[in-house]
Amino acid sequence: MITELLTKRYPGMRAWLMQRLTALIMAVYSVMLLLRILVLQPGTYEEFLDFFYPAWFRIASWLFWISLSLHAWLGIRDVFKDYVPNMNVRSVLLKILVVLLWVFIAWASWLFLTK
Amino acid sequence: MQNNELQNGQKAKLKNRPKNLNLFTIRLPINALVSILHRATGCALFLVLPILLLLLQLSLSSAAHFEMVVSLLRSPFFKLMFLGLAWAFFHHFFAGVRHLAMDVHWMTTLMKARCTSKIVLVLGVLATLILAVQLWA
Repeated sequence: MITELLTKRYPGMRAWLMQRLTALIMAVYSVMLLLRILVLQPGTYEEFLDFFYPAWFRIASWLFWISLSLHAWLGIRDVFKDYVPNMNVRSVLLKILVVLLWVFIAWASWLFLTK
Repeated sequence: MQNNELQNGQKAKLKNRPKNLNLFTIRLPINALVSILHRATGCALFLVLPILLLLLQLSLSSAAHFEMVVSLLRSPFFKLMFLGLAWAFFHHFFAGVRHLAMDVHWMTTLMKARCTSKIVLVLGVLATLILAVQLWA
C-alpha cells in the first residue's frame, strides 16, 4: 500500500515525501554547519579555507544544495499554484524558476566541487 | 427565455458575493500565522540564494575579498539584514520541524498545535536574539 503510493500514479505523494526528505537532509546539515562554525570559529582567510576545504564538507554542502533546490522547487511551485491562477503566466514563472534553480546548482557545484 | 433570465439572475448573484480582499480585516489564528510566516520566510530565503552564493564565491576567491566580505558584514546595515535573514531561517527551520512532527502524528490536536505554534514563534525570535548578542558583543 505505502509503496504503491510512491509510484508515478500518485505524483502528489512523491512531492510530499521529497519535500520532507530534503527538509530532513537540510536540517541535519544546518545543525552540523552551526556546530562546525561554533567549534572552528573561522576568522581569517586561512582559517576559512581550512573550514571549507575538507572533501566531506564540500560534498555535504553540495548535497545540501541539491536538497535545497528540490525543496525550493516544490515550495515555490506551491506558492505559484496558490497565487497565480492564470495558467500561461504560471507556466512561464515555473520555467523561470527551474532555469534559476539549475543556474544556482551549476554555480554551487562549481564552488563546492571544483574550487 | 425564462431559463436564460434565471441563469442571468444566478450570475448576478454570484457576482454580488462579497469578496474580502482587505487582508487587514482578517485576524489570523496563531497556527495560521506560523503557517503563512513559514511560506513567506521560505520565499525570502529562496530570493537571497544568489546573494549567498556570491558572498561565498567572494570569500573563497582571495584573502582581500574575504576581508571585504567580513567588513561588509560588520557594517550595522548588513548586520541588520543578516539578522532578518537569520530570523527567516530560524523560523522556517522550527516551523518545518513542527511540520515533520505533525507528519508522524505528534502534537496534532488543536490545543497542542497552538502550543507548538507559540513555541516555534518564541524559538525563532530567541535564536535570532542570541545571534544578535553574538554579533554586537
